Amino acid sequence: MALKIKKKRQMKVMIPTASMADIAFLLLIFFMVTTVFKKDKGLRIELPTAATTERLVKQRGLAAVWVNKYGKITVDDNFVRPKQIVPIMRRKIAEEPGLIVLIKSDKNAKYGVIEQIMDALKEAQAYRVVFVTKKE
Amino acid sequence: MALFEGKRFVPEEAEIPTSSMADIAFLLIIFFILTTTFAREKGIKFVLPEQKQQEVKLKKNKLIIVAINDQGKVFINDQPTTFEDLHDQIKKYLEENNKRIVYIKTHEDAAYDYMIKAFDIAKQVYQEMKLPPKVALGVIKRRAE
Repeated sequence: MALKIKKKRQMKVMIPTASMADIAFLLLIFFMVTTVFKKDKGLRIELPTAATTERLVKQRGLAAVWVNKYGKITVDDNFVRPKQIVPIMRRKIAEEPGLIVLIKSDKNAKYGVIEQIMDALKEAQAYRVVFVTKKE
Repeated sequence: MALFEGKRFVPEEAEIPTSSMADIAFLLIIFFILTTTFAREKGIKFVLPEQKQQEVKLKKNKLIIVAINDQGKVFINDQPTTFEDLHDQIKKYLEENNKRIVYIKTHEDAAYDYMIKAFDIAKQVYQEMKLPPKVALGVIKRRAE
């Protein structure tokens, strides 16, 4: 019986890594493009703390009203009086019906200012509000 | 390549080493992932009442009135209390009747922080009792002199 001996050919095991760099850069570019940067700088404030602080799921369709401890109000980095919030928010809610207004107020601000802001928001029919707080 | 006499011409292959490119790119990704801090907004949600609804008068026994004066003193249904006791007292009132609404009345000159504190406590009680939080906000105007 003739034995046929097959020559074992050594196979080189290779993982194709040439496209790996492309994949990685693609990921980088994807994350760079989808990153949302904060638009307004806001005021220097110290937020109040609350144990029942919830995380907001929404990242778009938010508008912030800032109040510092002296009761100065800014919207989109412009100083405004409480009454001036009405037209601004009316315009914003027309563009984005599910608008949530963030009230970013210093903890030492007087409640009267917040009350005036809430009145203005009611008038602008922007009913969804979040009192921005820090988690305790 | 200069050709030397008698020497064979060996073409040199021009290559760019790309094998470490992937490592560099992944390193960058990892760096950015780690250094990114998410500016996810956090806070207490509240839905303002529509102006028409404001006219609805509630029976007094359906309300738990938490009043905060300009000095930051707290009163619950006209009884003086403290922020430490507020939790238990709201709970007591809610246990009597769990349809009650916490109505936080804050003085115009009181700090915003007090209102948030009271709101936070009320929300905690509702969460403990597994009830949807029902909180109303009101204001105490300065006395006209």
